[in-house]
Amino acid sequence: MPVIEVDHLQKRYGEKVAVDDVSFTVEQGEVFGVLGPNGAGKTTTVECVQGLRRPDGGSVRVFGLDPVRDRTEVRQRVGAQLQESQLPDKVRVREALDLYRSFYRNRADIDELLTDLGLAEQRNTYFQKLSGGQKQRLSVALALVGRPEVAILDELTTGLDPQGRRDTWDLVERIRDRGVTVVLVTHFMEEAQRLCDRIAIIDQGRMVAIDSPAGLLARVGSEHRVHFRPAEPVEDALLLAAPDVTGVSRYGAEVTVTGTKDVLQSVLAVLNGRGTTYTDLRVEQPTLDDAFVALTGRGGRAAAQSPTDGRSS
Amino acid sequence: MSALSKLIAVETKLFLREPVSLFFVFALPIGLMLVFGLPQRAGTAADTGQHAEQTFLPSLALALTIGMLALFTLPMALGIYRERRILRRLATTPVRPALLLVAQVVVNLVMGVLGAVVTSIAVRFLLDQPAPANLPGFVLAFLLGVACLFAVGLLIAALAPSARAAQSIGPALFFPLLFLAGAWLPRDRMPSALAAVADYSPLGATVDTIGAAWAGADPELPQLIALAVTAAVAALGATRFFRWE
Repeated sequence: MPVIEVDHLQKRYGEKVAVDDVSFTVEQGEVFGVLGPNGAGKTTTVECVQGLRRPDGGSVRVFGLDPVRDRTEVRQRVGAQLQESQLPDKVRVREALDLYRSFYRNRADIDELLTDLGLAEQRNTYFQKLSGGQKQRLSVALALVGRPEVAILDELTTGLDPQGRRDTWDLVERIRDRGVTVVLVTHFMEEAQRLCDRIAIIDQGRMVAIDSPAGLLARVGSEHRVHFRPAEPVEDALLLAAPDVTGVSRYGAEVTVTGTKDVLQSVLAVLNGRGTTYTDLRVEQPTLDDAFVALTGRGGRAAAQSPTDGRSS
Repeated sequence: MSALSKLIAVETKLFLREPVSLFFVFALPIGLMLVFGLPQRAGTAADTGQHAEQTFLPSLALALTIGMLALFTLPMALGIYRERRILRRLATTPVRPALLLVAQVVVNLVMGVLGAVVTSIAVRFLLDQPAPANLPGFVLAFLLGVACLFAVGLLIAALAPSARAAQSIGPALFFPLLFLAGAWLPRDRMPSALAAVADYSPLGATVDTIGAAWAGADPELPQLIALAVTAAVAALGATRFFRWE
């Protein structure tokens, strides 16, 4: 049985339709991504899953329970980290954990949790003295302190620097390794690509696609690109004749060859066959940004907000 | 430990870590008493009427303590809790966020009572003020005053769009109420229409009923009823309009 079932979910705020038609299931033990630009209806969707909002149409089941009617039971088993949620300035890290721990029947060991999340040294620090990354990790710790079966993490890395973001990704992987099912809400393509087993793409309140990251990429058939600077001129025709190659373009001394998945091998075969040396070889794989743009048919507000660090690695 | 007792314990620590609220509750009322009470004892004030009553200043000090907690500290704290999405965060746990409101009210109440006791004792010994003569009446008046002012504070917390707004609405209401209580202009010198309103205003009725009981009389029943009705109406409004986010 799936852990979470969302079936034709609909939610309006007055006249505004926040979620129009969203359906997906989350299986036990997976990291499930809910991806889309700001205002797409991601947060509203997970708030319905948490029972914070009552759906206007469709149904939501968590462990087969109704999260609004069976709120206490669902909340015992689902830990949540909210977007931009803070704590009082002068609460100490350990106090906050100890407090939230008392809300649950299954209680995690606080010292172990603090060590796991790299907060052991901050145990007696006031919330206001924590760095952005530390606050974020505390927020995750609070979501885990009741030993949940499902953790819902909303915009986990927004506002973090690149290092903080990477540390947080490692953290999500560790949460999954504990056997916790993770629902990750994000508008960062790279984050979803790196962490999620499956991704639901939501745009303007509707489901655009649901698949594994590789499946999404395959579905849009995005092109791989190989860039290099040859030591001597190479004719376009020679490259175009190679298998897997679909196009060649030049920018100054740099040659860009586009093609399908194995285009790199083809290009290297041509260059090595001629004995041509080259520098600055780079391979650009299709990213979820490309997939997102192709699937939504829009120049991606989300794509514009994606972090640029190390994207085409 | 249950969730509520944990919440109360944490909220108490948070309160004690805030020097400003400690000053409001424990230092300011006594300071006021000393500043205004000493000249009076020296016999320079030949007033008659409200300000000449021996119990006026101590009653005002107690009403001040409650009023500042109810109208400044409480709405501020709740505004911050809403703004920082702490109430929302609690809603994702098995505990209802209303419990945090309960904890806040309990902590502020306890601090108010402690402040009142400290102020009463200080008044007793520093200014030779006798202990409250009608103790049951005194306790009743105090509790109704607390209920009324805290309900008004909760209503502010419910209606204020932001913590900053709550921070300005509290004082904006507090000082007119303090005026109506006769803190500056004695009520016997107010125009009679204004004085009639002032008699039943939250701070005015609190000061009068506490003062009467302190002096050994019975608090005026209409004023006690006014406090109870205001408390009920404001509390109803607060529950009706409170926003969790």
